Amino acid sequence: MPEEKNITGSCTINNGAVFKDGEQLFENKGIDLQHFLLSVYQHFQLNYPKFYKMDSLSKLGWLASEILLKSGFGKENYQSEEVGLVLANSNSSLDSDSKYFDTVKDIASPSLFVYTLPNIVIGEICIRNHFKGEHAFFIQDTFDALFIEKQVNYLLDRDILKACICGWVDVLEQDYKVVLFLVEKQKNEHSLLFSAENMCNIFNNSKGI
Amino acid sequence: MSSSVYVAGIGVISAIGNNVPQHLASFEREEAGMCDISLFDTTHSKKLPVAEVKLDNKQLTAITGLPDDTSRTALLSLIAAKEALTDAAIPGFDTLRSGFVSANSVGGMDKSEAFFVDFLANNNKGKLRNIYDHECGSMTEIVADQLGISDYMTTISTACSSSANAIFYAARLIKNDVLDVVIAGGADALTKFTLNGFNTLMILDKELCRPFDEHRAGLNLGEGAGYLVLVSEKVANKLSKGLYCRLSGCHNNNDAYHQTASSPDGTGSYLAMKGALEKSGLVPSEIDYINLHGTGTPNNDSAEGTAIKRLFDPKCPPMSSTKSFTGHTLGASGGIEAVLSVMAIKHKIIYPNLRFETPMNDLGLVPETKFLKNQNIDHVMSNSFGFGGNCTSLIFSRI
Repeated sequence: MPEEKNITGSCTINNGAVFKDGEQLFENKGIDLQHFLLSVYQHFQLNYPKFYKMDSLSKLGWLASEILLKSGFGKENYQSEEVGLVLANSNSSLDSDSKYFDTVKDIASPSLFVYTLPNIVIGEICIRNHFKGEHAFFIQDTFDALFIEKQVNYLLDRDILKACICGWVDVLEQDYKVVLFLVEKQKNEHSLLFSAENMCNIFNNSKGI
Repeated sequence: MSSSVYVAGIGVISAIGNNVPQHLASFEREEAGMCDISLFDTTHSKKLPVAEVKLDNKQLTAITGLPDDTSRTALLSLIAAKEALTDAAIPGFDTLRSGFVSANSVGGMDKSEAFFVDFLANNNKGKLRNIYDHECGSMTEIVADQLGISDYMTTISTACSSSANAIFYAARLIKNDVLDVVIAGGADALTKFTLNGFNTLMILDKELCRPFDEHRAGLNLGEGAGYLVLVSEKVANKLSKGLYCRLSGCHNNNDAYHQTASSPDGTGSYLAMKGALEKSGLVPSEIDYINLHGTGTPNNDSAEGTAIKRLFDPKCPPMSSTKSFTGHTLGASGGIEAVLSVMAIKHKIIYPNLRFETPMNDLGLVPETKFLKNQNIDHVMSNSFGFGGNCTSLIFSRI
């Protein structure tokens, strides 16, 4: 019987608002995505100059991971190799691919080119937090909670990982949505059982836990 | 190490030769393989030097007997893998548990690129079903079928350290008694995607590359394939033909610093080399030659040089980058350079690092610039460092 696993935190950034564990922490509606992302960065007083270089997908995923891990995550409880990520989306890196392709007509941009893969967002989160565990990025039509559940269970039940950030991060032009879950073996005051159903509920009500 | 892993056969194809003896001859003549682009269709022709294998696809299909629509990656792979397997001449090969662990980074992209030119203009020109199998794993399958290997096959794709990792993984399969013999290495053909991509990153030298030189300006892309036949101790004891050497250490580390660049202090490369040394039970002063990753890009060479100094100072062993001959063959480079490292032990040679003039400012490392014979080469380190900081070092030791 595999050990029970828990969703010990969640972060949703969607429709001009940021939620952590069900609570709205920030709202800034009616502006374009780039300005919105910058306003999130400034609101949470994050200090990571590399943020400015990132593409929209990485900015979204990175911001959500910062807010997700900001309080309550005991990083010191884990070795680098024990924390990993399983993410998915439906538009891959198409947002950056087309921006890069536009530059090819003039001078192909090296700084955009290095973001023309969807899993770069995982790299940015890992570099920031020194996570060195297993990770994977999947392209799917819609958020497939059962699939993510299976992947994360595999990694945690076999002790390949001890903690996993999983979820969805997608952007195409002005459409975006990110929902990240922190999955651990321990519980905390607001944790929920890790299951596809609980992930779906959080994903769909857009407020988080 | 529970048991040793031996090298029983080698095979290689690159811009400087279609087999092992031709490579040896080119090194002796100090003749690089880069020149103006002649076979590969690109807008960069005459502007960027590349190191092409000097056989066109027609000649390659004629040699291999594979169908006309086969990717150049698989064609190159089969030629070098077959040479290695023939060279090993393992009696009763069919009765052994055999595997093919092959790396590449472009798959059949050369064929996909050609397909899309017409197809995008008119989608009646061509069927998508003809390109569905251009991913990396398909290249391995085509070649494994031809080699008659069905027990185990897998594909590793970790950018420029791909085929060093294939060899590393193959060694683990043998050490853990999963397989008796594994053909391991990798292949990559030139494609528009890689040439344009590296051009975008502004790391291609418009002249012939100058690894480890202060005035280096980037790499030259190449293509090719290189494979080792690795065997267990049990198989090694049965071989009538002599063994080349032992794979005495391998280690992989990631410095998780940037999508493409190495960390400036070469943390990943340092840990890879140090780990390989520890596994081989050697101390730094016992390494007789380092086959450098040495791409010729400002970032790689200064990071690799910094790591080498940190590990080997005050006395660095002789070193050279054979990419000054073959160009950077990406997913094939670890395999090709493993073959060259094995040849260095067998023939007691050190390869020259062509076009080297000025040592890097703060490092002062001077690679070997002449082809040297009759050297005492017992232990060779081969470095392969990939995008994303994926760093692997292999050590080969005389038996």
